[in-house]
Amino acid sequence: MEAILKRTAQRVHESEDEKLLIEQAQNGDREAFEQLVRRHDRDILRLAFHMLGNREEAREVFQETFLKAYRSLGRFRFESSFYTWIYRIATNVSLDHLRKRQTLKEEISYESDTEMHPDRPALKDTLAATTYYSNPERRLYGKEVGEKIQEALKTLSEKERLVFELRHYQGLRLKMIGEIMGSTEETAKNYLFRATQKLRAYLTNV
Amino acid sequence: MTCKEYQHQITLFLYDELSESARFELETHLHNCESCQGAYESEKAMHSVLADDAIGWDDIPSDLLVESRKALADQLDRIEKKRSWWRMPAFSVVFTPMRMLESAALVAMGLALGVYVSNQRPVPLQTASNTGQDSQISLLRNGTISNLQVVNADPVTGQVELAGEVSQPLRFQGKMEDDTVRNLLFSALRDANNPGSRLKAVEILSQKPTDESIEEALINALVYDDDAGVRMRALEGLKKFADEQHVRAAFMHTLQNDDTAGIRIAAIDALMAHNSKDPAFAKSLEEAAKNDDNAYIRSKVLQFVGTSR
Repeated sequence: MEAILKRTAQRVHESEDEKLLIEQAQNGDREAFEQLVRRHDRDILRLAFHMLGNREEAREVFQETFLKAYRSLGRFRFESSFYTWIYRIATNVSLDHLRKRQTLKEEISYESDTEMHPDRPALKDTLAATTYYSNPERRLYGKEVGEKIQEALKTLSEKERLVFELRHYQGLRLKMIGEIMGSTEETAKNYLFRATQKLRAYLTNV
Repeated sequence: MTCKEYQHQITLFLYDELSESARFELETHLHNCESCQGAYESEKAMHSVLADDAIGWDDIPSDLLVESRKALADQLDRIEKKRSWWRMPAFSVVFTPMRMLESAALVAMGLALGVYVSNQRPVPLQTASNTGQDSQISLLRNGTISNLQVVNADPVTGQVELAGEVSQPLRFQGKMEDDTVRNLLFSALRDANNPGSRLKAVEILSQKPTDESIEEALINALVYDDDAGVRMRALEGLKKFADEQHVRAAFMHTLQNDDTAGIRIAAIDALMAHNSKDPAFAKSLEEAAKNDDNAYIRSKVLQFVGTSR
């Protein structure tokens, strides 16, 4: 009981502390803004890194997310938690990047790229070389299964991918995911269900 | 509820997203329905494969975090610099002699005064009512004011808004545990024009690198500072944590990228002293240092790889 009370008190303290930081940042205090960034930047970078699968785009998403937050912090009205708000920005930016990538993929043919520049490594190899699996520690762990799962993840729609990422890898509750998406817990549940069904279908076939 | 609906709930059950009552109902149904039990087993096996894949996803390369933070800070600096340029008199649309006279007259009449201080970054608008007369007098007496401009002057209400830059002498004393002391030291560490001050700051921070924020500041200094002395001092402060993942990653980065051989040598010595000789680590070290220009580094790594086999 004492531990629960202590944890509750701690949470209250943290949320009051965060409210103060947000207000200071809204008044132009850069130091306060940086403290807010530090509280959440690992989570945001992890999300971006997993969603996009490579360092360069993850760094871009990271930067774009916090710059958007910096510019629009004045409009933050404490209607949701800061955590939800910043995650909402990050997920939108990540989805934009995925969409842009899709468009780019349609415009550029890997094959023609190689044909036009035979001296260069193929674009697909370059992209593959900078993915999460270029991390040596990752390579050691179940590379084959991991790669199959990565392939399977590509069969999901954007929203399914997002909900699966947030629930499975980031460990967020579906209620919060619904809020992040500007939707409901029920919608998040449906996306999660569809995502796992598609993954199962893909993985049992390979 | 139909079997199809129960099967729909299995995913939520495995993600611990069912309410207590729905969970109980599903468990009871699974106990009595062979077909749903089969679906559950299959779903559970798949969930376990996916869960295994999630192990280790918590990690992000720490150099990526450092790089991303640095790039963001640089971008914020650029934005703020741009904003303060627009506040310079030469760019101000309201900076006219007429406005100056107008506002000077209003100030002389003792009407309300709002001082807006622009110190390279946006700061909250202070007003006469919330700062108090004393603090304003002390601000004007102790600080040096430059780039002063009149942002706005309303002859009807008598409200005047001024913008400028105030530099004030600062003396602050406190222990390292104090947030203000630490933040001031972090600011000193970011002072691009003053390597002496950065060196002093890194020396002080290195004495007690137990706090995570200090450790991060030291990693930043090690990876990004232009001054070799500052980088070396940061490395010395971090040495004893060379077995921690993010410190190890920063040392590996130094080993591969730092131009100063002395710092690379210190990095490889620390990595070898504080990490066990496991073959995977030896392999990464070999990859990082096998082509180093420095013969001592190459021989050290060969020795380490040899003994780890």
